[in-house]
Amino acid sequence: MTSAHRFSRRTVLRAAGGLGAAAAFGARLNATSAQDSTSGITIPQPSTTLPTDDVTFRWIDSGDLKSFFYKALFAKYHEAHGNITIKYDPLPWDEINRIVPLGVQNGNAHDVFAMPPDVPAATAVAEGWVAALDDIMPNFTEWKARFPIGSFTDGVTDFGGKTYTFPVTSDKRSSTVLFYNPAILQKVGVDPSAKPLTWTEFREAAQKITKQGKGQEFGLLLGGGKASSQFPAIIGNLSRMIHPAGGSSGAATYMIDWKTGDYIFTSDAVIGAIELLLAMKSDGSIVPGAASLGSADARARFPQGHAGMIFSGPWDIVNYQTNSPDFKFALASQPVPDSGTPAPLTFEQTGSNLNWVYAKSKYHAITADLFSYIGSVDGQVAIMAATKGNLQSLFPEAAKQAQETVQMDPLAKTALDLFNSQIRLGPMMSVRVPDYSAVQFGIKKLNPDFGDVIQGLFSGQLKDPKKAMQDLQDRSNKNLDDAIKAAQAKGAKVTRDDWIYPNWDPTKDYGEADYKALT
Amino acid sequence: MAIGTAGRAGRLMQQGHRPQGRSLGRRIWAARWCYLFALPNLILAAGFTFYPTIMSWYFSFLDWSGFTSDRQWVGLANFREIIHDTYFWHAYLRSLEFMAVAVPIQVILAFIMALILNDASYKFGPLFRTLFFLPVVTSAAIVGIVMTFVFSPFNGPINQALLQARLANSPVDFLGNPNTALWTIAGVWVWKWFGITMIYWLAALQVVPQEIYEAAEVDGAGRWRLHRDITAPMVFPFAVVIVLITIVGSLNVFGLVQTMTGGGPFFASEVMEVYIYRNAFGEGGIPRLGYASAAALFFGITVLALSLLQGYGLKKANDARAQLRAG
Repeated sequence: MTSAHRFSRRTVLRAAGGLGAAAAFGARLNATSAQDSTSGITIPQPSTTLPTDDVTFRWIDSGDLKSFFYKALFAKYHEAHGNITIKYDPLPWDEINRIVPLGVQNGNAHDVFAMPPDVPAATAVAEGWVAALDDIMPNFTEWKARFPIGSFTDGVTDFGGKTYTFPVTSDKRSSTVLFYNPAILQKVGVDPSAKPLTWTEFREAAQKITKQGKGQEFGLLLGGGKASSQFPAIIGNLSRMIHPAGGSSGAATYMIDWKTGDYIFTSDAVIGAIELLLAMKSDGSIVPGAASLGSADARARFPQGHAGMIFSGPWDIVNYQTNSPDFKFALASQPVPDSGTPAPLTFEQTGSNLNWVYAKSKYHAITADLFSYIGSVDGQVAIMAATKGNLQSLFPEAAKQAQETVQMDPLAKTALDLFNSQIRLGPMMSVRVPDYSAVQFGIKKLNPDFGDVIQGLFSGQLKDPKKAMQDLQDRSNKNLDDAIKAAQAKGAKVTRDDWIYPNWDPTKDYGEADYKALT
Repeated sequence: MAIGTAGRAGRLMQQGHRPQGRSLGRRIWAARWCYLFALPNLILAAGFTFYPTIMSWYFSFLDWSGFTSDRQWVGLANFREIIHDTYFWHAYLRSLEFMAVAVPIQVILAFIMALILNDASYKFGPLFRTLFFLPVVTSAAIVGIVMTFVFSPFNGPINQALLQARLANSPVDFLGNPNTALWTIAGVWVWKWFGITMIYWLAALQVVPQEIYEAAEVDGAGRWRLHRDITAPMVFPFAVVIVLITIVGSLNVFGLVQTMTGGGPFFASEVMEVYIYRNAFGEGGIPRLGYASAAALFFGITVLALSLLQGYGLKKANDARAQLRAG
């Protein structure tokens, strides 16, 4: 982990400083360079004995940025091993949530899969869904040693002394980067690259864009409909910069102030963020139809040029460059609070783009060979090359080599600078509490959940944000308490106090020493 | 020889004759070819209909995510929870509301259109029959996705038309407004399945002999009286069946709702199937297959009751048709 440093408005400004240049330079990127991504991949000699008969190997994950690498890798792999065809299924997370458990249940899951968000990894291990890499990788110890210290964590990648997965890339990133259309923002004299917009400036900018757009251009494009609403991420991250709270991986840790162990749904920060969004809706600054657009739909429509701004993550950089090569866009920090020093966001080092090996797969040798390459310096450089730096390697050597040899995307670099300045590693329950998965698995779906409640407020079906959030807070607390009780009844050693991290400093990465200090 | 045996057995069964004094085994043996030919269908039905149905009843008594070996028998706890879940009842009533509004519209409009297209003198009848039937054979999911663009408040053709015709001052967010979302889906549902109901009506209209119309016309009956005094009484037995088929269809709208709104905004268009899906597979927590199965069973009883009603209606319709033939 990089050494922590003080997160201040100055660092935000510094990170944002390069954005203007990035915006201009980003326009030069086009689909051609993305299509050249195979050039960085050279398939090495097999690390193990591969099947000789015709084989169709299946791989499922959430696609996005990594799909640029995997598509290229699998094509090259087929070239090198003509009898092996890799069927790649990049699908949305809700599909993965459905398909993978059904596949496991039916005994025909993909050979390699991304873990469904609703399934705790510890449960998948306990249920025998996944194979340990120790058992399938040749030269496992040597391979594992290539990764930097801290890449493997108990409760995340390792269970019961064995390693089941590995982080392909760094997951220090945010889904609420402000993507903007410079041509539209220039018309109203707004430049988020000069310095991050405050909440008020953000609202005013959206108003100005809408006014000058005369029904054809609006301030903000928002996907607030269907199950994949952007509301939780937007409200969550806007408010986290005022009231620091946990990251979004895992329902139990969602929106929890680690210092107190309490949810922050009723905090002024969350209520303020909701009111900002409602005010922007009332201004007419949000593209009509937000309440019925899913997140992916909204993001896909941004290049049409009808909105000045949208919140998204780095995965859309390559997406827009490839699918809308003529679309010019730039990135900036998400809006920061009107006053005070913005607090950092937190992330959980759950390992980005983790792949898991289906225990009953007949082709563990192919998996081992592919993982061997992906977990090598050459493979890591190829990932950065295929994504033009939008995916960051965990290997310092690979990152250095890629910066020297690969054409890095300036927008990717901008995003990276932004994440380094604005995001810190937060506490992780799975690291602190070995029995945490028993709790996580007992947490029932909230009905309505955070996203639903904001959707209800946005559509006008719920009228009072404070009342709605208090109800959510109460139900969240009860849900967590019930899950803890159920886990305790099954023998899990866990209490609600485990959710309190008195030594948490949101401006610093929460590391091994901090966990030790708790005991 | 064998086919001859099967043919005889079939005829005997059709005529309602039961071979007297023969054991069940002998009777089955006599009709063995009938059973043999029915076997593949029976096996498929057992595997893909009966087994999942029965298992879902069993699951409804479990606290189970659906993918772990940790299944806990909870008795009626899921049902008790459902009874107290306001979102369940909202979805339940919403499904019934959807049925109560969409079915009459579809059945009546399809009947009117069938009357028009049943007129042999109408040259474009086959063309319109095909046009109306096209949406029926289009995937519900595809229709749903396309309709999100059609109804989009931003540059969607419906809104463009409303604005240009000055029927609206500002774009209408049909699918994002809690007051319009469900009824927009109902409109699309009527449009999508209109063709099949119309075909049912056209088939029903075939039973009305042309000579009766001609005789009535000679007697001076106008078009209205023809339909009121001849068509309506003669197709009424079919109406029962058509209405009931349409009712059951209106409770199976998952594809359209999921693709058009996902049940939103804030559950405003969440019908029972989407509620079940959300609990069984949706995001935001560990799936609850046991609970979802209990909800499905609860709702299934409603559909079953309607299906039984359909069976009863069918019997009545057959009786009425037999009387007509006899008369």
